[in-house]
Amino acid sequence: MYLKVNDIEKAYDGHPILQPLSFGVPKGKVLSVLGRSGSGKTTLLKIIAGLETPDAGTIYLEDQEITNWSPQKRGIVYLYQEPLLFPHLSVQENIGFGLTVRKVAPNIKNDLVNEMMDHLGLIEHRSKMPDHLSGGQKQRVAFGRALIISPKVMLLDEPFAALDNQTRMQMQVMFKRMATRHNITALFVTHDIKEAIIMGEELACIRDGHWQLYHSIKSFLQDHLTGVQDEINFWKKLDP
Amino acid sequence: MSYRMLNQWVGPIIFIALSVVPLLLGIGYALLYSLGLTGIINNGFTLAHWHTLLQDASFWETIGFSLVVALSTMVISIALALGLVLREPTRFQRPIPSFLMYMPLAIPAIVMAFFIFQMFAKGGWLSRIAFQLKIIPELQSFPDLINDNLGIGIIVSHILMAVPFLVLFFTNIYQNEDIDAYRKLAFTMGTSRKMSLWYVQLPMLLRPAQPTLFLYFLFVMGSYEIPLLLGSQSKQMIAVLTIQKMQRYNLADIPQAYAISVAYTVVVILLLYIMVWVSQKNRSYDP
Repeated sequence: MYLKVNDIEKAYDGHPILQPLSFGVPKGKVLSVLGRSGSGKTTLLKIIAGLETPDAGTIYLEDQEITNWSPQKRGIVYLYQEPLLFPHLSVQENIGFGLTVRKVAPNIKNDLVNEMMDHLGLIEHRSKMPDHLSGGQKQRVAFGRALIISPKVMLLDEPFAALDNQTRMQMQVMFKRMATRHNITALFVTHDIKEAIIMGEELACIRDGHWQLYHSIKSFLQDHLTGVQDEINFWKKLDP
Repeated sequence: MSYRMLNQWVGPIIFIALSVVPLLLGIGYALLYSLGLTGIINNGFTLAHWHTLLQDASFWETIGFSLVVALSTMVISIALALGLVLREPTRFQRPIPSFLMYMPLAIPAIVMAFFIFQMFAKGGWLSRIAFQLKIIPELQSFPDLINDNLGIGIIVSHILMAVPFLVLFFTNIYQNEDIDAYRKLAFTMGTSRKMSLWYVQLPMLLRPAQPTLFLYFLFVMGSYEIPLLLGSQSKQMIAVLTIQKMQRYNLADIPQAYAISVAYTVVVILLLYIMVWVSQKNRSYDP
């Protein structure tokens, strides 16, 4: 496994958030993680990103233990629900941020930023400041900013939750396209069942800190705890 | 006029009547007075008062001194406040540190000036302590920190008042802009703590703070009580010079006082223009 999480545990003030949980993600695959608010999804992602420390357990990336590595050394980018574009930087400066701090030569940086903006359809917005962008455009910039540094793993924490349905669908298509193109290894956290199925090659569910991995869509659909059956029944009832 | 239109215009009209009109009338009166067109001893239009003022080296020295005091105060206060906030951004949200920061804000400027006088004067506490500890041979050997030509006493007083205000101000921005989330995001993108400070935290804190910092700069530049008590006679700040000229027995000085007021207003408007120009220029910022 490219990314391996072994027996990770976390509790706040004695209240367990994550029970010992283990899983792995193969290279170039997207694992969708479904879970309700407060189920421990964000805590799990922050632990993998190095922004929180686990109470127990280990994390391996490319067969190297990274449990105690700083976030800077891991090469794992964490994308929040909000795009968190730097408000003092324009679109192209935001996308090039990771290259700027890596002191990449300006001509190479410009080429890479232009290429990324082209892929994401952002060329015409290059000089705009974040407060002049729509929600979907902001998320595209956030993706570009993360992708341009070729992260080993991307952690996406409900990135499309704040978008309207149509923009959300466009973003899902865009992410799938970019994931294939850049061979992205990612954990995609969402509370939307449909989105989890669309985005992930593999599916998992986190409930009250417990982890359930589904090896096939069929097993995912059959588990009544995922809420899929309730959803199907709801739509069936509306069938005239 | 419909009720809707009336409702739309009431606010701006009240604002203009209470704020803009008195200000313009005041500046207009000062300008007329400085040109000899009104006032007790006016003899008709003349540029003599302006001529005298603009050729007076002490006037330019006063403008320069006021700028230097305000600039020194702001640079030191901003650096101290940023240092305190960035060290632990949530510290000043706790009750006791927050109370300790709010407390100095309630102290009037004149009280702070007296406090600094008691502390830094040649016969003050620090001087006496230094004498008792045999650091200085006599009280008079204590360095000039009050009524000095460098304005040290004035700057220290203003810093003591500005730092608590700026700490609370920056803490608010830090929380409202959720700068910690941006900092963590930058970490996952490979940014070191130092880089995160320069490329993320400082620009995100200082950019929205610019207008307030500029207003505070103007407040220090135009301050009166502190420089009156702690300033020197040879180098005065602008408000002290203006009031002194205004209240002298020599009536011929009054038009000059008004000319200083108008000149100061011009300087402020010029600085305001520069600030707006700089902030527009900085909107597109590449780290």
